[in-house]
Amino acid sequence: MNGLLAKTDNGRHIPAFRTVIGAVGIAGLGLTAVVVALDNVIAHAPAGAAHGAPPLSPPDVGFVFGTDALGRDVMSETVHALAVSFSSAVFATAIAIFIGAFAGFALVRMPLGAGRLVRFVSGIVRTVPALVLAIVLVALSSRDFSTIAVGLAVCPAIFNRSFDSAMSLARSRHAMYARASGIPGFTLLRRDLVYELRVNFMYVAGRALAASATILATLSFLGFGTVPPHRDLGLVIAQARDSYLNAWWCVLFPALALVVFILCARWAATDAGGEAS
Amino acid sequence: MWRIWLLRAAEFLGSIAGVILLVSLLTVAAQPPHGVWFFAKDVADQFLRALTGDLGRSATTGAPAMAVAWKAFPVTVQLIASGAVLALLIGLPMGFLLSAGRTLRAAAPLLQIVTAIPVFLIALALVWIAVRSFHMIAPVHPEDTSLTALLRHGDWNGAWFTYLLPILTIGAAGSARLQMALRRAAGAAWAAPYRNGLRMMGLGLLDINLRFALPEIAAALLRDVREFVLTLISAAVIAEWIFQRNGAADLFLKAISSHDWAVVSSILFLFAILTLVAGFLGDVLASLIVSEDRP
Repeated sequence: MNGLLAKTDNGRHIPAFRTVIGAVGIAGLGLTAVVVALDNVIAHAPAGAAHGAPPLSPPDVGFVFGTDALGRDVMSETVHALAVSFSSAVFATAIAIFIGAFAGFALVRMPLGAGRLVRFVSGIVRTVPALVLAIVLVALSSRDFSTIAVGLAVCPAIFNRSFDSAMSLARSRHAMYARASGIPGFTLLRRDLVYELRVNFMYVAGRALAASATILATLSFLGFGTVPPHRDLGLVIAQARDSYLNAWWCVLFPALALVVFILCARWAATDAGGEAS
Repeated sequence: MWRIWLLRAAEFLGSIAGVILLVSLLTVAAQPPHGVWFFAKDVADQFLRALTGDLGRSATTGAPAMAVAWKAFPVTVQLIASGAVLALLIGLPMGFLLSAGRTLRAAAPLLQIVTAIPVFLIALALVWIAVRSFHMIAPVHPEDTSLTALLRHGDWNGAWFTYLLPILTIGAAGSARLQMALRRAAGAAWAAPYRNGLRMMGLGLLDINLRFALPEIAAALLRDVREFVLTLISAAVIAEWIFQRNGAADLFLKAISSHDWAVVSSILFLFAILTLVAGFLGDVLASLIVSEDRP
């Protein structure tokens, strides 16, 4: 919601253009959610269904986005794949936020420096890219768990950010006064969580959504993601790789859908200063 | 001050030990023994072996896994270094340009259209442009794609295709990251409250920028080196796979596919060390530019 705010808590105005960008991002994500919810209505054909159309026909009146190498309608395939990509990315983001963000806040208050230990371990895990970590997790489990693997791979970055943010809040003046006046630690944690959710939720969620969508598509492109017959945008693009040099429409439209989705998520992730991520 | 350096060095060494423990854990967890005790014992044994550089043997070739990974590593480092240079050449001017004035800063979100493109799509777009516009083709002799072999066969197209396009891909990913970090750092430096104070004291804008803002920006960029290297490694994984470069990143994907966990662990170890060393050097240089005890 922060992207829609006129000014931040400290009274500093967010530049209007960037506020608009935040609003555009959120509206774009909402529109994507509507398309995903109505995918069976918007798409002409069920997922994977061949129309009997000639393979690799360029875009025309009958097939607005053309057909792929198997004669499937690229528009229908793109809409269905967007639905798979969107729902997977949202699920992965939910995992990342739930484990990463909330654990980051809760662990700061753990006794005996347990939180610092977890932060140190998380820092070590962050020495390999999230994409590489997701591939390892998929290989250790199965391609069916790629969404969970991506959620877990994105976790360390979110955890580190939340932990550092919670640490600075725990050391802040208001926390010292609260402790001195006998306010319970749980009440303070709840206050900090509400503050974080109000100010930074869209920023964290938008960034996590963009990262999850990118990694999920890349995983599928590399052959570690979605398992056919379910096809996400990464897999649709990967399967069109052999023909795209001559039939650009097989890759262009799924690629556009993916980029617009990621872009909306990043635009929605406008931080407290109005800066898009 | 020396306490901070000591703490940093201890943290760096602790991180390396942690990485070794993590790859040991991965090697054992890939084929876990029955029972918690045996698992812990195997991890401890593997950790002690890994401390001496022994991460096991490759399941496919039988060669020492670290030697296999190390042999492929220079190709990846070469790609990452070339991509980093390209990223610096593109990302730095772009970042400065986009943080220079209010109008240009407002255009920055539009640049995100470019930065939102996943790396594999950048690579596919580059291949499409190379083939359709410049009539480049993949190497004629794909069995030997070393630069000397390609040039010996007079396969200039193949050489451009195999060597230039991966660097462009990694460079594009790196420059996107770099310009974003630079914009953030510059935004913070331009908004710093000391600027007004210094101007009221009679200092010129150029003086303030050169003596105060520029070091702050450089230090912020150096502190972001770890994230920059992570971006480059991710891009290298994709570029090597698409352009069939036989580097450590490509070997990583092949080893994962064949469940060769000793090689996977060795490559992860090398990636982690690369990130840690780059991050540590970045922090040290940042501390030298802007003192830690500066208010």
